[in-house]
Amino acid sequence: MSKISSSAILDRSVAPPLLPIEHISFVAPQIMVLNNGAKLFWRNGLQNETSKIELHFAAGSATNDPLTASLCAGLLINGSSTQTAKQIQKALDAVGAYYDVSLSQESSVVTLYALKDQLLKAYEVFHESLFTAVFPLKEVQELVHSRRQKYTVQEQKVSFQAQRQFQRSLMAGSTYANLIQLSDFDRADRSQIQAFHAEHYLKGLKKVFLVGDLSTEDLNGFEVLLNAYGSDIAERAPFSWQPEQGATHIEQDGALQSALRIGRPLFNKTHPDFCAFSVLNTILGDYFGSRLMSNIREDKGYTYGIGSHVVENTKFGYFVIGTEVGVSTREATFQEIQHEFERLKTELVPAAELELVKSYLMGQLLKSADGPYAMLDLFANVETMGLDLSYYDHYIAEIKSVDAHKLQELAKRYLNWEEMLIISAG
Amino acid sequence: MIAFERFTLANGLRVLFHKEPATPMAVVNVLYDVGARDESPEQTGFAHLFEHLMFGGSKHIADFDAPLQAAGGQSNAFTSNDITNYYDVLPAHNLDTALWLESDRMLSLAFTPKSLEVQRQVVIEEFKQRYLNQPYGDAWLQLRPLAYQKHPYRWATIGKNIKHIEDATMDDVRAFFKKHYHPGNAILCIVGNFELATIKEKVAHYFGNIPAQAKSPRQLTAEPPQQKFRIKTIQRKVPAGSFYYAFKMGKRLSDSYYLADLLSDHIGNEKTGILYTELQRKKRLVSEITAYITGSIDEGLFVITGKLNPKRTFEELEAAIWPVLAQIKDKKMSKSALQQLILKLRTAKAFQDQGLLNRAMNLSFFELLDAADLLNTESARYEQISTTQLQQYAQELLDKNRCSLLQIQPK
Repeated sequence: MSKISSSAILDRSVAPPLLPIEHISFVAPQIMVLNNGAKLFWRNGLQNETSKIELHFAAGSATNDPLTASLCAGLLINGSSTQTAKQIQKALDAVGAYYDVSLSQESSVVTLYALKDQLLKAYEVFHESLFTAVFPLKEVQELVHSRRQKYTVQEQKVSFQAQRQFQRSLMAGSTYANLIQLSDFDRADRSQIQAFHAEHYLKGLKKVFLVGDLSTEDLNGFEVLLNAYGSDIAERAPFSWQPEQGATHIEQDGALQSALRIGRPLFNKTHPDFCAFSVLNTILGDYFGSRLMSNIREDKGYTYGIGSHVVENTKFGYFVIGTEVGVSTREATFQEIQHEFERLKTELVPAAELELVKSYLMGQLLKSADGPYAMLDLFANVETMGLDLSYYDHYIAEIKSVDAHKLQELAKRYLNWEEMLIISAG
Repeated sequence: MIAFERFTLANGLRVLFHKEPATPMAVVNVLYDVGARDESPEQTGFAHLFEHLMFGGSKHIADFDAPLQAAGGQSNAFTSNDITNYYDVLPAHNLDTALWLESDRMLSLAFTPKSLEVQRQVVIEEFKQRYLNQPYGDAWLQLRPLAYQKHPYRWATIGKNIKHIEDATMDDVRAFFKKHYHPGNAILCIVGNFELATIKEKVAHYFGNIPAQAKSPRQLTAEPPQQKFRIKTIQRKVPAGSFYYAFKMGKRLSDSYYLADLLSDHIGNEKTGILYTELQRKKRLVSEITAYITGSIDEGLFVITGKLNPKRTFEELEAAIWPVLAQIKDKKMSKSALQQLILKLRTAKAFQDQGLLNRAMNLSFFELLDAADLLNTESARYEQISTTQLQQYAQELLDKNRCSLLQIQPK
């Protein structure tokens, strides 16, 4: 430990010495292959009572009918061959369980949370609901109705408008550009939801993540239930898209702020430039001290927040800057973002800033690996891309070795304003 | 069970330490006993503006965030009507960095005019982004002054008027700091794999020589008991009518807090709660409806909120909702339903207690309320509740004369 003692004189203007992170251990889950080829990944060693089971289905919204995908996900636990929605909810309440369903463009993730001694009991109810879902007409109508209303609320938000236009233009030519429209709600159809369920849930279970200090008997119980389901969905057709560039503005009368989305196609972590670009992206806009935050929030006060991100899908990735700024500072914000691109292209990142960002990223990785839940998420992030945990050792090595020249080269290659898609709303 | 140690420095700083051997990270949480309720009615939004200024550099350190980021950590804060809470999460071996930063900004801020100018602008943009440029964004700005007429809960943390933020001066800011930011008004909580002796030594080293200052007594205007139903209807550019029925409930530490918490879960649940089954499912008046409590330290609010279906009116809802609330008062909940609620709370608490940051924040908050031990003993307060008590409490709570109703009508 530190040699500081309370009797030592404290010089507040001198920062305490920093120690680097020596090592991060990445712990793989236990893997069980189910009869049907789907994989079950299990993490234990929690030293507390919590547990969860997470099922990943090839049932994402990047299809020709995103509303059906969304309604199906929303109705999974709303009536089965033997129980009504209310009965199911009561049965889950009886064991103190919670669940949520999260739908992304590529998958539908269904998660059940309970205390470890209740998880299997809760899952038995849940399993039956999920795999024998009958989509009662009344439930379908109610959900269509409430989703339509929520959509009309969302539609008023400038951030929603900008995000949609951005996705539509960036992912043009692919199913990822298909987004729910208000008129879709009139065409919602129960039989299509049933068909989607049969195709994407009954045959679409890709993997299962289990966390908790569970008994062997419980583990067997999960395996027996899950063995009946798996994935025989053919791999999607090769991904292709025709991303658009250039500026589009969506005017909204009376808006106080404009939402901005600026970005371009990029790559995911399978690309050789990914790790180094992560460092560049962090410097630009992915932490509180980033250049965009320092300039546009902390110096100019144009916004409450601005950030840049690399978003990854299994087949592609993209880069995006997002913010909401006062309407009168919209053009000035564009200028400042361009200015930050130019600085990265023309000036080498100072050594102190680069060191700070490297340390910051290492600290964040250490945090992301802290505890079984976080560790399993880290694992899932690479597993989805067809990689394994050794990726993180590679990431650490890349972060440590990247230099200012490499970052400048990447900025010149990827951060060109004229190649960006620029959307504003409001 | 979250085990912890407690000690107090000579200058009045209360310190909590919770050892967690399984993590390589550390959490440093600093809670200041100041919230929007401590503001003057002429200078609202100050506690929150001040939270922003706390990141603008302190007496000996030009930039708060950079050293923390260089240590592999990050920081944030929030302001509520009751408290201002700051936290740092960083690799445990760099704990000193967080203590150094937090102690220097507790000692004194840098107070640069530039920082005030910029953060004033940032907060105004935050006001627009979160409250003004969102459908229903200003609901609570409207509901608070309806439900509270005297108590400072009548304004939101962002402030009741953007002008208060625009008018803030350097002198105001200095005075606010002097009054509220000192060791006797703070609770420091550290979580991580450390030894108590080390923590004592480090805390004394960094915080020990910050001068003590007397805690200024809090004299809040009490909210007089509400005698009559209040209703306010506003028109906004929104797609659907929205309603907020706010009933007065007890203080955070009163027995009624626990009763109200269980009751809100019970009636507000989707699919099984009576609000859903009667008003959404059977009568099709609403497209969504739920119930929750604010959980504030002083007298809080029990809120039933949702959105009207198209073509349905507030009058129809008014006619239907009171008979449903009467049913809640008339019918005792079953024992098994109560046991289920308790079990759900246990599950939720187990998940919350899992997070290091949650543990640090909750220990600090409970220490402020009364004693950090509450984090471990509070479950017992729920478990003692009977179905009879719940029914009696529902009768007291769901009194129309103690309700304030805000309706937001589409323009």
